[in-house]
Amino acid sequence: MSEAANSETMDQTVAEPLLECDGVYVTFPRYGAEEAVALRDVSLTISRGEVLGLVGESGSGKTMLARAIMRLIPQPGAITSGSVTFEGTNLGELDPEALRRMRGRDIAMIISNPRGELDPLQTVGQQIGNVLRYHLDLNSKDVRERALDLLKQVSIPDPQRRLDAYPHELSGGMAQRVVIAIALACSPRFIISDDATSGLDVTVQAQVLELIRKLVSERDTSMMFITRDIGITAHYCDRIAIIYAGEIMEVADRGVFFDDPLHPYTVLLLAAFAQNERLRRYWLGEDKVRENSGPSAVGCAFQNRCVRVQQRCLAEHPVLTEHRPGHFVRCHFPVERP
Amino acid sequence: MQILSYIGRRLIFVAPQLVGILLVTFLLLKLIPGDPAVMMLGPFATDEGLARLRTELGLDHSIIKQFGIYLWRVIHWDLGTSWQTTMPVTSDLAQRFPATLELVTLSLLLALSIGMPLGVIGARSKNGIIRKLVEYYGLAAGSLPDFWFGLVLIFIFYTILGVVPAPLGRIDFTIIPPPEVTGSLLIDSVISGNWLALRNALGHLILPVLTLGLINAAPILKMTMSTMDRMLEADFSRYAEMCGLPDRVVARKALRNSLPSVITIVSVLYGFLIGGAVLVEIVFSWGGAGQYAVQGVLNADLNPVLGFVLYSAILSLVIYLIVDLIYFAIDPRTR
Repeated sequence: MSEAANSETMDQTVAEPLLECDGVYVTFPRYGAEEAVALRDVSLTISRGEVLGLVGESGSGKTMLARAIMRLIPQPGAITSGSVTFEGTNLGELDPEALRRMRGRDIAMIISNPRGELDPLQTVGQQIGNVLRYHLDLNSKDVRERALDLLKQVSIPDPQRRLDAYPHELSGGMAQRVVIAIALACSPRFIISDDATSGLDVTVQAQVLELIRKLVSERDTSMMFITRDIGITAHYCDRIAIIYAGEIMEVADRGVFFDDPLHPYTVLLLAAFAQNERLRRYWLGEDKVRENSGPSAVGCAFQNRCVRVQQRCLAEHPVLTEHRPGHFVRCHFPVERP
Repeated sequence: MQILSYIGRRLIFVAPQLVGILLVTFLLLKLIPGDPAVMMLGPFATDEGLARLRTELGLDHSIIKQFGIYLWRVIHWDLGTSWQTTMPVTSDLAQRFPATLELVTLSLLLALSIGMPLGVIGARSKNGIIRKLVEYYGLAAGSLPDFWFGLVLIFIFYTILGVVPAPLGRIDFTIIPPPEVTGSLLIDSVISGNWLALRNALGHLILPVLTLGLINAAPILKMTMSTMDRMLEADFSRYAEMCGLPDRVVARKALRNSLPSVITIVSVLYGFLIGGAVLVEIVFSWGGAGQYAVQGVLNADLNPVLGFVLYSAILSLVIYLIVDLIYFAIDPRTR
């Protein structure tokens, strides 16, 4: 393991946060009911050059966090408190036009299922070109050259021909590369990869992940890597955050995270991959099937699925605390190694 | 190449489609009570006279045989004569069909140039006051009867203000119409350089075109707005927003993706208005094809009706073919 080397680079980069979320709440008003909270008190920092893995199950708020950073919360939801600061600028204070200029140029997004998200009526070249044209003010000739260059960088086979291809003519892997090319087009300083490889075959997935990692480290771009697969983060992320029911449950450097997880939910996620049958059964709580295993409103959000739940967890909402230097956890009774 | 083979395949089906349409129309018309012989000879006709006329008209044959005879004549481009005008249906329609086509085409162009921009504006100003206004327009235009609206326009612009010519046909009696080439007064006037006729014909067109255009802008508006709404919510629009593309660029993408629906509704309206404009034609004494067909139905004059149906069917098939070709052009997935 190159853990020592890894933590060294961490020390260098931690000094200057590129992006900082501070106590972000996203809520959706509901008729005749209490508003739905999609994100609750989310605080995260991402340093320059750092790749942060954000792991959570479906509906945990991963994508909502990405959209909160981009300031594109779907109606009628809104960021009701907290702030997102990017390179010292509070994004909440920018006007819509400045935000628009920031999206795609400074903060770019790599999406999943790109074949459904690209415009079906425009060629790959036009869609890459749009971003170049409206962010960098390039003329048509330069746009085409740059687009071709980008396609080469994401190692698409036969880039010249793909430039004039339509999205429906691309394979899933190729479409994914096109989306990466669009994300890289303006050399952004921060990239959010939202479950970017979930729709791909395992082999293609590995290729694409490797490509993202290579391109990101070459450019010293920071990244938030959203995924449902905790295994992927072990290979591609410097630091890992766990999100559950809109709350950050644990944040730690990669080495510590996998060696010494503190939150029962993290252990559950890791145990799901474990070979040891007893370990897996204990943490997944197979013998404790509960009626209501969804997130809870009072007390700890994870209480209904936690095998270590105690009286305090039902009544008191835990806060995210720094258990060890650089290792944050939101739990009254963190898992300690014997 | 693909397009040519597609057109070829489509054309193969044209003939059976036309025969089917004619057969259904023929049978439906035979179901309507009304004896042409009685209509033609009047109340004092003798039974022998009626019987002789029926034999002359071929009405004593079975319906299937009558249809066969009619079809045989149609193949030789003889659509029979109308006993009301005593003219061959082909020459009647040659005069009347272009009148309707001119009216409907211009009306739809106007409707499109009103409905589409309003739909786009409405979809883009979600929850805004503009959207409310656009919705009210759609509601009002959709609920007003066109013939009544035409009468109101005549009252205002002819009776009170006197700025348009009398609603009596396509051109003033005092003006010599241009020699017939296409049947469209506008085009024919331009061809013969008859600017007086052009001006006069345009003057006569204003109100009926305004009537049909303003009313039929409503369905185009609604279709544009609802499709644009959907396209602006679609994944590709969301992604375009994430890429930081300007709003107008996102809207343009959405509009391009909405065009197939808009074109579809326009083509449907076109086919519909060929006959559906008849009330407006009557209000303005337009002498169009719809009026001709309705007169035929009312007087058991079969040939004009069948001729009208045949012409409209051919026109509709042509329009649908053009629509498909437009789809080809704008949507790469259909290629």
